[in-house]
Amino acid sequence: MLSAAAAASASAIPRLRFATQPRLRRPSARSHWLRPLSSSSHVTPAAATGAGALEPPDLPRLANAARISLSPQEAEEFEPKIRQVVDWFGQLQAVDLQSIEPSLRAGTGTGSSLREDKPETFANRDAIVEAIPSYDDPYIKVPRVLNKE
Amino acid sequence: MPPPLQAHRLLISHRRIPTPARRRFTAASSVQSAPAMTLAPGPATSSILSIRESLLSGERTAADITSEYLSRLRRTEPSVRSFIHVADAAAEREAEELDRRIASGEKDAVGPLAGVLVGVKDNLCTANMPSTGGSRILDGYRPPYDATAVQRLREAGAIVVGKTNLDEFGMGSTTEGSAFQVTTNPWDDSRVPGGSSGGSASAVSARQCVVSLGSDTGGSVRQPASFCGVVGLKPTYGRVSRFGLMAYASSLDVVGCFGSSVFDTATILSVVAGHDKMDSTSSSQDVPDYASELVSLDLLESKPLNGLRIGVIQETLGEGVDNGVVSSIKGAASHLERLGSVVEEVSLPSFSLGLPAYYILASSEASSNLSRYDGIRYGRQVSADDLNGIYGESRANGLGHEVKMRILMGTYALSAGYYDAYYKRAQQVRTLVKESFKDALERYDILISPAAPSAAYKIGEKINDPLAMYAGDIMTVNVNLAGLPALVVPCGFVEGGAAGLPVGLQMIGSPFSEAYRFSYFREPTNYYFCRFIQGNLLRVGHIFEQTLQNFSFVPPLLAER
Repeated sequence: MLSAAAAASASAIPRLRFATQPRLRRPSARSHWLRPLSSSSHVTPAAATGAGALEPPDLPRLANAARISLSPQEAEEFEPKIRQVVDWFGQLQAVDLQSIEPSLRAGTGTGSSLREDKPETFANRDAIVEAIPSYDDPYIKVPRVLNKE
Repeated sequence: MPPPLQAHRLLISHRRIPTPARRRFTAASSVQSAPAMTLAPGPATSSILSIRESLLSGERTAADITSEYLSRLRRTEPSVRSFIHVADAAAEREAEELDRRIASGEKDAVGPLAGVLVGVKDNLCTANMPSTGGSRILDGYRPPYDATAVQRLREAGAIVVGKTNLDEFGMGSTTEGSAFQVTTNPWDDSRVPGGSSGGSASAVSARQCVVSLGSDTGGSVRQPASFCGVVGLKPTYGRVSRFGLMAYASSLDVVGCFGSSVFDTATILSVVAGHDKMDSTSSSQDVPDYASELVSLDLLESKPLNGLRIGVIQETLGEGVDNGVVSSIKGAASHLERLGSVVEEVSLPSFSLGLPAYYILASSEASSNLSRYDGIRYGRQVSADDLNGIYGESRANGLGHEVKMRILMGTYALSAGYYDAYYKRAQQVRTLVKESFKDALERYDILISPAAPSAAYKIGEKINDPLAMYAGDIMTVNVNLAGLPALVVPCGFVEGGAAGLPVGLQMIGSPFSEAYRFSYFREPTNYYFCRFIQGNLLRVGHIFEQTLQNFSFVPPLLAER
């Protein structure tokens, strides 16, 4: 599928032309790059309609999972923006990705190099300790962990 | 000309009697360690080399050079505001120490970067300076170690003059996302310098320092380089150690650099690149002396890029891109043709899919990476009754708006039931993007495109519209998804500001093509054939830069005396 598309475009590569043609006013970057992918070669007509019935983001639940206390005002401010971006993410639902392997990383050939499993003492322990907001040697102090009745 | 296969970590000493016919690329004049004060057009010269020559010949002292840069910094900072922290006293002390060692005739006193002032983006840890990542949550934090890239610069003799401003934790494209200050573009102080490495780009553009370090996750070195009219390099993923870089998205982040010339940028890369046992994703590939192949014009044939095949990415010159940017890129393409290369248009399938895929992957990885900022072991702590309260309140108080948004979006994309729909699909798109680049780079040595759809826009223009800001990253994010190296070199101007706004040409190569590479491929007769590939980014960028007439990329801000 991919190579067919590439072969098609390869045979159709024009020489770069520099004729100065009068240009109409272009649409803005925003309106161009953020439109839905109706012209993508990977979109199947069936998938393009009825894209995903995923629940919209539940902000209080997400904020709790991310351990960020959101004020009600902030939640109100964030909700439409996050929903807008997540809707935009949704365009990936319409793409036919059957049999494409997911890539965990760039794969530029950087191997995983492991060192010997030997503990090494870090030289500047003092600076680490100094950065701790609430320290009571040798403990890092925190309030109670669980707050249940 | 055989490629340099040995790993040269130090510059070849340039202390020699110059014989005109065999002169390597060097500064036009050794007095010119200051940037051209006139706006006379002409190609960039290497500040690193001219500083080196001044020190070795005794013509100038390091203290003198440092004080010149510092006085320019102080004069321009009220307007540009590149730096969150300036270490002027330490810089002056280090310069004096260097002078002492040179005067006492100490061998090896003059390292490859001796006397060179460097700005470091504030998401790179520096042991003796505050490192905030542009965030309130790390206000006042002093790391216990230097980032590997910073340490290597210091070992080569560089003087770290300060920490530059950025969008908080690298999230943003304007530097308006900093918790501390807004940096302005040296070409027009009502415009953004780009982001997230806006401070690093503007510091080099305003010649407040010689070179600077930045980081590039989705274009954060290349877009500000284009907006500020400086050279910006995003190395191959794994080329430079990420140890000490505050992680945003670990599979996309790289440490990059800025310079006022390709030669200086290549010199910095040689110093910071290379395997690091503290970063298991760093590459063991040899580090060549990247600058040694960047020779002066008189040593080149008349068509120095003869045989080079260049592909212009079709999707980056169509709708949604400013006319002025398109014509600058087309002008650059013509220039490359005149230098002997063959330039054609090439289409990259799945190009526009890369943008949402990037934001899903980056937000997801960020939601994980930023969970370490919990107010317990470092940074600002807000007290609370229980542990979850400390987390919630400290993060709510310390993290900025855009960062919170991305963490929440990432949390959503990774949560149970949504992983397949978002994160996994984004990874599949990543495969498509990698494949399409690989196909194109088999047919072409280098791909070119703009680094952004427009030149620098006004401060405040995109601040309330996240999607509008994300849209501007379309030219750069795919390169991060594929882990490829890319160099941005200023190539022209569009209208705006007092003297026009710069536009940069982005050049993309295959992995590790910052230097020469060989490629083995099989002929139909089944014999293996070794083909010498000319497409090395730094060499092409250098030749492009040196042959570009009639442009000066020194901002008018500096002409005021």
